Amino acid sequence: MRPRLPVALAVLAALTLTVAPAGAQSKVRVVTTIPDLKALTEAVGGDLVEVESLTRGTQNFHEAEVRPSMMLKLRRADLLIENGLDLDAWVDVAVQGANNANIVQGAPGRIEVSRNVPVLDVPTTRVDRSMGDVHPRGNPHFSLDPGLAPIITENILAGLVRVAPQHRAAFEKNRQSFLARLDGEMARWTKAMEPLKGSKVVVYHPDFIYFLTRFGVVQAAAIEDRPGIPPSPGHLTRLINLIKQEKVKAVLVEPWSDRKLAERIAQDAGVKAYVMAVAVGAVKGADTYVSAIDYNIRTLVEALK
Amino acid sequence: MWNVVAMLVFALAALAVPAFANQDADALRRELEQMRKNFEALRQDYQKQMDAMAERLRRLESQPQPTTATAAPPAPDPRAAVRAPSTPSAMDLLSPRQPFGLYGQRGSGQLLFDIGLAGDFVGNLTQRNVDKAGAGTFRGRENRFFPREIELALFGQIDPFARGEVRLEAGEEARGQETGVGLAEAHLTLMTLPFNTQLKLGQMRNRYGWSNQIHEHDLPWTDRPNVYRAFFGDEGLSEKGAELTWVPDLPFYLEALIGAFNGDNETAFGRGRISEPLVTARLRTFFELGDEHAIQLGASFAHGLSADRLRRMYPGFDIRYKYRPEGWLHPLLTLGGEAIWSVRREQRVRDLLIVGGSVPGDCITGDIIPGALIDTDGDGIPDSEAPNTTGPCIQLPPTENPDTVITVGNQRWVTRLGYYLYGEVQPFRRWAFGARYDYVEQLVRGRERSIQPYVSFWPSEFLRFRLAYKLTDRSSDSGFSANEASARKVNELFFQASFVLGAHPAHPF
Repeated sequence: MRPRLPVALAVLAALTLTVAPAGAQSKVRVVTTIPDLKALTEAVGGDLVEVESLTRGTQNFHEAEVRPSMMLKLRRADLLIENGLDLDAWVDVAVQGANNANIVQGAPGRIEVSRNVPVLDVPTTRVDRSMGDVHPRGNPHFSLDPGLAPIITENILAGLVRVAPQHRAAFEKNRQSFLARLDGEMARWTKAMEPLKGSKVVVYHPDFIYFLTRFGVVQAAAIEDRPGIPPSPGHLTRLINLIKQEKVKAVLVEPWSDRKLAERIAQDAGVKAYVMAVAVGAVKGADTYVSAIDYNIRTLVEALK
Repeated sequence: MWNVVAMLVFALAALAVPAFANQDADALRRELEQMRKNFEALRQDYQKQMDAMAERLRRLESQPQPTTATAAPPAPDPRAAVRAPSTPSAMDLLSPRQPFGLYGQRGSGQLLFDIGLAGDFVGNLTQRNVDKAGAGTFRGRENRFFPREIELALFGQIDPFARGEVRLEAGEEARGQETGVGLAEAHLTLMTLPFNTQLKLGQMRNRYGWSNQIHEHDLPWTDRPNVYRAFFGDEGLSEKGAELTWVPDLPFYLEALIGAFNGDNETAFGRGRISEPLVTARLRTFFELGDEHAIQLGASFAHGLSADRLRRMYPGFDIRYKYRPEGWLHPLLTLGGEAIWSVRREQRVRDLLIVGGSVPGDCITGDIIPGALIDTDGDGIPDSEAPNTTGPCIQLPPTENPDTVITVGNQRWVTRLGYYLYGEVQPFRRWAFGARYDYVEQLVRGRERSIQPYVSFWPSEFLRFRLAYKLTDRSSDSGFSANEASARKVNELFFQASFVLGAHPAHPF
């Protein structure tokens, strides 16, 4: 007998394997592109969701490498939560390799949390790459601004309700509870930052503009005069002069940026360079949404005192 | 008289007062009730407004003050349809997903598709004999600087179910020729098929091996590996047809692919008919060894027919490893390699007999080989098998041509191996240093080995320069001689400049 029947049964079994777990799994499977959104989704979803992030806090989200392990995570996702504003456009390639119709572009199981966020740094002139790796729709690094958490979690809530409407009440309750807790923390953070309003800092890449604006700190300049392009010696000389003239108090740097360069500039200008948590998990002690913001507040208070 | 009138008026008034008093009390009660209702409605309305204002205040408080753009008003979600996660029925699985709003989540002013343009210029310097024989890596373009690949890419969602991609390509094919424009790729991918499958249709670079699907300007080297150029031609394997992929639900990543194509590639196949297709298959898996180490393994297979219907098979394996230290923007070390076997059924001509004027049934004698094929119309392509292949005689098949040319020969399997190995170190964000070793057994005769060290420099993510030296050693000049010149040892210096304008999809692992 030709081995057609065993082959057919094997194929059927394989197909069954692909289908059966979908119903057996009671939690909503959510995949986020960045860890900040994972933390916020866990806050809203609570025990009803199982959340994975495609990237870690120590990675530069602009240049994430699309690995098949991302496709494995996306393979069974009910919901994909993107940051948007072109920060995580690479996820399209991962989605294409995941063969999951729930999360393809435009599907109900895919949301962007940038919806309704008041975007900063939106270019007002013609944009091209001579300006560096600019984001034509505005600065996408808003997720760690605690003041935007209500909008972000509202978008997350809408996405979760879309794929699991039976849990709407629980999601809403979780969100309110999280925002109430955040309100308490916010009062503490605002009080700590109140005396530092109007202080000036220099950043390596404009990753903190929402956070700084929230607490009244002024971003005087960036080491990268054009995003993603190494700074020229002339720009660095001007930057050092600016730090001195404008009485800039600190240089803020991401964990993955050229810290030696930042420290050299700071030293030449007579200030210090500080590593900020650009995302949840970016540095030690910033493992949750609140602790990441706490870390940044403590760092700024120390840097600007 | 006046007294009587006054008394009557008084009496009437006395009777009327209680009636009026009763009426006033009722009206007052009604009025009070109405006022109570109005007040309650007002209170409820006020409460609603207070709630709305509180929510609005929360939103306003959550916005940073000095914004450069106003928040977009909340728009009704066109994808309001909700879906509970439940086990899909068989019918659910067999039918495509329901339509949903396209680009509902995108910002305003977005194009419905992306446009990107990639430019790739190559210069090469080599010896005079290599130039004369046309035996360099870029054959016919030795000692030239030329646009190898100027590619316009358009890609995006076609509709809720499918993605589309079109790549038009221009480049210099040979010295003195005008730059031609051609269709490099044009395909659509159905993304919402049941059973977690996807179907890609059209003209495409086949997902065979690791490097074949990558366009020239995106390769980590200046030239395509020798094994691809020897077995599939300078462009590698690019075909018209369909590929079906399936990602099963396993604890590790596995992608299975099967494809059917025309088989137009003249170097490897050439049959050019979907009725006698080139069939491709690929399995790809991936493992992460911690956060810093990752390895990808692939196995590929291609089976098709040559123009004269001889079988061709190409099994191959590929491996790729990357080490990216924690927090690095780029890998520090990349290692990779591919090995491909060319297994070809080939026609070996042993005798050429001209039997003008013979008639069907005539017996041709000679050194007859078992499995002989006969070319009865003289076009060089066997079109008939000898009816008697075991004896010392071939009986002619029916033919109307009195001057039939009969080619007698046999077939045999010819196996060739080719592979490359490469390593790249990127200690700095903008600089990478690497080397590739190539080995390939040529289809006709001889072996070829080459080593190619290179250095790449990226001024930015969208601009790259590369300098490479390639030393090639061939055991035979068969296929590499022309114009009274030949080239067995070849020294080449490559310079490459590549850029990207506009959108460019992220590179897979």
